Amino acid sequence: MTKKMNPAARLAGTLAIPAVFAAVLFGLCAANGKSLFATPISVNYFVLYAAIVMITTMALSINLNSGHFDFSLGAMAVLSSVLGAKLSYALLGGGSGSAPLMLLFCVVIGGVLGLLSGLLYVSLRIPPIITSLGVTLIYEGITFTVTAGKYVNTEVRNASMSAFSGTWVWSALVIVAVLALVWFLFDRTKFGYDYKALQNGQKVSVNTGIREVPNALVCYLICGALMGIVGFLSTVRSSTINGGSLNFGSIGIMFTAFLPMFIGGYIGRFSNDKLGYLIAALCMSLLNTTFAAFSNEISASMQSIINALLLVLFLIYLSNEGLLQGLFHRKKSA
Amino acid sequence: MAQTNLAKKNRTRELLVALLPVAALLVLFGALCLTVNLKGYRLDMYLKIVFNEGVVLAVVATGAIFIYSLGSFDISLGASTLFSAAIGVMVYNSTQSLPLMICTIFGVAIGCSLLSSVLASVFHIPVFVTTVAMMSVLSAVAAQIITANGGALGGIGIPATVVAPLDNVPFKLIALLVFTLICVFVFDFTKIGRRLKFLGSNPVCAKLSGIKVNVYAIVAFVMAGLGVGLGAFLTLVYTPSVTPTTAGSIGMNILVAIVFGGMPISGGSRSRIYAALVGGFSYILLNNILKIVIDSGAGYGISQIVSAVFFLAVVYVTSMNYRTKLLPR
Repeated sequence: MTKKMNPAARLAGTLAIPAVFAAVLFGLCAANGKSLFATPISVNYFVLYAAIVMITTMALSINLNSGHFDFSLGAMAVLSSVLGAKLSYALLGGGSGSAPLMLLFCVVIGGVLGLLSGLLYVSLRIPPIITSLGVTLIYEGITFTVTAGKYVNTEVRNASMSAFSGTWVWSALVIVAVLALVWFLFDRTKFGYDYKALQNGQKVSVNTGIREVPNALVCYLICGALMGIVGFLSTVRSSTINGGSLNFGSIGIMFTAFLPMFIGGYIGRFSNDKLGYLIAALCMSLLNTTFAAFSNEISASMQSIINALLLVLFLIYLSNEGLLQGLFHRKKSA
Repeated sequence: MAQTNLAKKNRTRELLVALLPVAALLVLFGALCLTVNLKGYRLDMYLKIVFNEGVVLAVVATGAIFIYSLGSFDISLGASTLFSAAIGVMVYNSTQSLPLMICTIFGVAIGCSLLSSVLASVFHIPVFVTTVAMMSVLSAVAAQIITANGGALGGIGIPATVVAPLDNVPFKLIALLVFTLICVFVFDFTKIGRRLKFLGSNPVCAKLSGIKVNVYAIVAFVMAGLGVGLGAFLTLVYTPSVTPTTAGSIGMNILVAIVFGGMPISGGSRSRIYAALVGGFSYILLNNILKIVIDSGAGYGISQIVSAVFFLAVVYVTSMNYRTKLLPR
């Protein structure tokens, strides 16, 4: 039985990383005479980016934690947003209600794409990483064919989409809804308990009667639906969709979620991993807002390098935590 | 008697499945010749394109087999190729020395690989995540160098006359064969290869047998670095300029090529050097055939879909002997 942590330690563990992030980034801005949230637009984009990162991180971690590495997450997001945009434009012509309708289409199409990917995996019974390579190429190919390799602009530039990006409230509502749904599904249902059992012991779980295939399919479906939301939110953020990504050009979307996934997992030790993903996404969004404030000084290449270094440093800490704690305690007792 | 027959039947089936990637390569080669002739294009030109594209992928993938045999995989190899080539160009432009450029390319490629392996083995970071971080850093630094010295579109380059004497099939073929033979020797005829396969098959057992995981991981990454170095040099020989998109898709194409060549992604005892060679050329052949058949702008998307379906079909058939009751992870 694991030792129960006291509430103060849990609170401190949960808030330590965001507190460090906030202190460093706000301090850096203050020292250089910059403001992180100078305009309401920066607040809107802060919440919007946090939503994108949180949902991508959840989708990545759902499959990754259960041993289903999925390269196709980015391709699902792009394809569902392209199809969602085209369908909603065909029905409403960019008029009132286009944004919610596109969101609905993105979720449904994303779910179907995820389910198809899962069906391919359980039918072929080849390692998920290989299936996902094929699926990525197929979804990218479909996107390219549908868009003729061009950017999708007309279908996503309308008043309804602008209204969505014009306030942080909608993004915050999406965050709350996704967080509540994922928490409920994975922490409060039989599906979630089975998922955790399979995650911790595949063979034992299957032998005790847990049905692995339906569980995996639901996981893929949820991941697809989540990436549909990411596709929609990314479209809102950039007001366009790049339909020309071929040859694994879409996998970059997934890589943005690695650092928040590890940070979220760490925070999850003190509270709940889903809450951890939200807090990690807020940290990443704060970092992104800082990059925007320093856009003249820090180039896009430099931003990638900083993000990668943070990932490596955090993983070095995580992987050698016991060693570092041992050194710290030895010094203390000496 | 019945058992002997069954064992014989299984062996035959395994042999047939093992030969399937080679058969697929031959069929694809025949299909390319047929398609080019039917379309009335110049076959020699297409064979040269396939060879030039395939040789870079095959060389980098052959080196990568050493990492993949451990059950790890490295997606930073494309970025590493770009970075090595970019630094090589910078060195040539400063010194006008081809030997120094070649040494720099190999040095940088091996250095990048060593950095990945040190991060993974010394700091105990998962290899895949290390390579994700390396990919971001290397491509960002290379993009910065290229943009600062020549612009993102035009890129940086060396005079074409410098590498023109090497831009021919015999030189590249010799480079490919020599590197492949070195890899075959190390992988199949030395204890390094045997231990790498052992570590990939059963890491716990290998560790308990006294095999030093870190040492062999570093050796695997150095061999991959050699492949990257040669790949970067051959890229420059073919196209003497480097842009931020150079070798961009190699990292993922290696994965596809190795699996296409019949090697399991989990590595271990079924790892084969020839998988990279066979898979690399098969994948390039398939892509070129589809480009010829679907001859339009939007056709690139359809080509990729057909290519992916073919890839999945080949993997499905080649992995038929290794089905498990549980879902594979």
